[in-house]
Amino acid sequence: MRAMGMDRLDGRNANQMRPLTCSRNLLHRAHGSARWSQGDTIVLAAVYGPKAGTRKGDDPEKASIEVIWKPKTGQIGKQEKEYEMILKRTLQSICLLTSHPNTTTSVIVQVVGDDGSLLPCAINASCAALVDAGIPLKHLAVAICCGLSETGSVILDPTKVEEQKMQAFMHLVFPNSPLAVLPEGSSSKHDEPFEHGIITSVTHGAMPERGYFNCLDRGRAASAAISEFLRRSLQKDGS
Amino acid sequence: MATTPMTYSPSQGAERRQKQQQMRRMSQELDWKRSDGRSFHQCRPACLQTGATNAASGSAYAEFGATKVIVSVFGPRESKKAMMYSDIGRLNCNVSFTTFATPIRGQGSDNKEYSAMLHKALEGAVILESFPKTTVDVFALVLESGGGDLPVIISCASLALADAGIMMYDLVSSVSVSCFGKNIVIDPTAEEEACQDGSLMIACMPARNEVTQLTLTGQWSTAKTNEAMELCMDACSKLASIMRSCLKKSANLSS
Amino acid sequence: MATSARGGGEGEAAAGGGGGGGAAAEMEVEAYRRLFPVAYFERHLRESVRLDARPLASPRDTSVALGLVGSADGSALVKFGDTTMVAAIKLEVMTPPAESSDEGSVAVEFYMPPICSPTVRPGRSAEVAPVISKQLSDVIMSSGMINLKDLCLINGKASWIAYLDIYCLNADGSLFDAALVSTVAAFTHLEIPLVSVSDDGRVVTVPGELEGKTKLPLVNKDKRKLMLNNVPFSLTCGLHKEHILVDPTAEEESIIETFVTVVLDTLGRVVSVYKPGGSVLAYTSILKECITLAKRRAQQLRNILNESVSAMEVDKSS
Repeated sequence: MRAMGMDRLDGRNANQMRPLTCSRNLLHRAHGSARWSQGDTIVLAAVYGPKAGTRKGDDPEKASIEVIWKPKTGQIGKQEKEYEMILKRTLQSICLLTSHPNTTTSVIVQVVGDDGSLLPCAINASCAALVDAGIPLKHLAVAICCGLSETGSVILDPTKVEEQKMQAFMHLVFPNSPLAVLPEGSSSKHDEPFEHGIITSVTHGAMPERGYFNCLDRGRAASAAISEFLRRSLQKDGS
Repeated sequence: MATTPMTYSPSQGAERRQKQQQMRRMSQELDWKRSDGRSFHQCRPACLQTGATNAASGSAYAEFGATKVIVSVFGPRESKKAMMYSDIGRLNCNVSFTTFATPIRGQGSDNKEYSAMLHKALEGAVILESFPKTTVDVFALVLESGGGDLPVIISCASLALADAGIMMYDLVSSVSVSCFGKNIVIDPTAEEEACQDGSLMIACMPARNEVTQLTLTGQWSTAKTNEAMELCMDACSKLASIMRSCLKKSANLSS
Repeated sequence: MATSARGGGEGEAAAGGGGGGGAAAEMEVEAYRRLFPVAYFERHLRESVRLDARPLASPRDTSVALGLVGSADGSALVKFGDTTMVAAIKLEVMTPPAESSDEGSVAVEFYMPPICSPTVRPGRSAEVAPVISKQLSDVIMSSGMINLKDLCLINGKASWIAYLDIYCLNADGSLFDAALVSTVAAFTHLEIPLVSVSDDGRVVTVPGELEGKTKLPLVNKDKRKLMLNNVPFSLTCGLHKEHILVDPTAEEESIIETFVTVVLDTLGRVVSVYKPGGSVLAYTSILKECITLAKRRAQQLRNILNESVSAMEVDKSS
């Protein structure tokens, strides 16, 4: 394996993502839907709601978000439960929950193909589906998977085979840069701009501390590109 | 780890069966030694403690020899939506075992039979009229099952109810005995229960001299039933006084 | 179960008006706490103190006791303040799969029985329980804490499967952290039974008194303890506005929306940085601070665990 500009199995370089596609409004009965693909990893997300009422135990003064994860085959296990919880908390943090109090919005995520970076793909799909359904959002979120090899080099958007070969890999979610409205608690307090803050971080595998922060930097840089893609794709469909 | 392969515990099998047979043979004789050195009419030392878990309205922990039980009481709180209006309160009981409670790893599921028995044992003692429309939940978890599980659960649950401040006519204490041939053995261990000829369990309110539950299995003559019941009632009133002093101690500590 | 504040202003006015004194004031404070939990909480934070009078960066009193479950091969009871975990390991024998014939395996399950919290009802397991199970088994595997080859008995024929069952007896926040400490402690306490192979090919235990007497070959005479490498410890930090609160209680967890759990191992490697959403964004500086706090906590937990091991050894020898 060459250290610099090492080629990957599918011919990408370390910093290259698989081709992204995003299409919206595919399902007629759902209030919003989107299909997001990164190479062979494909996820279809549907949004229903807001429907009246929240589940017992949820705060009725806020909107509640419910996530249902449908694997490609088989029943849901612990892994899918974990995905559901991470996705739910991530979406909760980008939605304006106070604008529809005492309602529930359901997000159904159907895995169509899994070739690595599944959770980021699902987060991107859900985010696009929420926009399609017209659910009020504070800002968009973009998710990316970074892999860290034994030598400390970082690759973006690993496939399933690559994920297994890596020392560690992580799913990161960043907010996209706001264009108009400045959200509360924005950049002024921190040295870093708003879009550098992490919404979600989920890691697998042990790694040196420096490796983690390297991945953050690379993920951040790549998130700007995905963010740009998402925005363009939303504007195109909207017009 | 997705599919769990077929596994077995290395300690089960011939050795344990042999031990049990030995125990069986021995217990048929008139005079034999209990494995923990107690006499036939001696109970295991009881360790009781209230306030084991602070998330609950009341709770208690009981340790009788190897048997360890935690009971939490929640409520009185809103009844389930599906429940009909009721002038009197509801008592909801649930008993579950940990997977490591028994020598062979179990499933850790709810025990429906014990849940129903616990409900029946406590129902008569709790003043349901004192919390109309609402539900009191009594949840028991058996950490380790070392014999006489149900009586320990019942006693521990009534202690937890008292700790939660639920009104009762009296504390419920419960003791069981096993019958081996001509002998009656009080507060049996799991080992003894496995080869008993019959058993008798009483749950009662000693101050009122009222029995809330009595179960009897196996063949008993009337004379022996009487003897066993007296033995149990006597032990129950002693246990109740231990429970009472435990409550007094925790009340003194908190004030 | 959060009831959100309906505007801090009126809440504070209500509390201020009731300063008459005595039991009435006590009642007012308790009512204020229930009705306006966020305002109540933030008023504490302004004084850099938490609801239970801790400073922001202090974890709760932590205790570890080993070997409380007699029916298990290894067990531990861990308390973080009122959060209580019991972990127990039972070893069983399995035929290892062909692709890893010289390895054993670990099966982790985290339980939240209804006694642990008013929100858990029988029959319906808590939502977070399977997620914590998954996280625990991920952390055990990726830290390399246990060398699965140490669990091998006879290559290709038999190996141990360690059933690790963790019960939460009292859920008062930071469940994952407490569960991980109980996991490590239970593995530290684990004593592998001496076994031999019977005539019909089954693995059977050899009771202590028969050691040396049995005709059957002893399989694991010198593999009775598990060597633990790179032990992982974790710390959960709650992020609320610009504050970082370590080791949150259940009440704090109901108010704070953002949590970062950092898991570090003995080598100082990052085993996991887990932040599932939340309204506060984690900037690099915040993450670095969480990692620093986690390092301090890991050292502290390591000491507590070592103390509990020596306490048990004293117990045994006396």
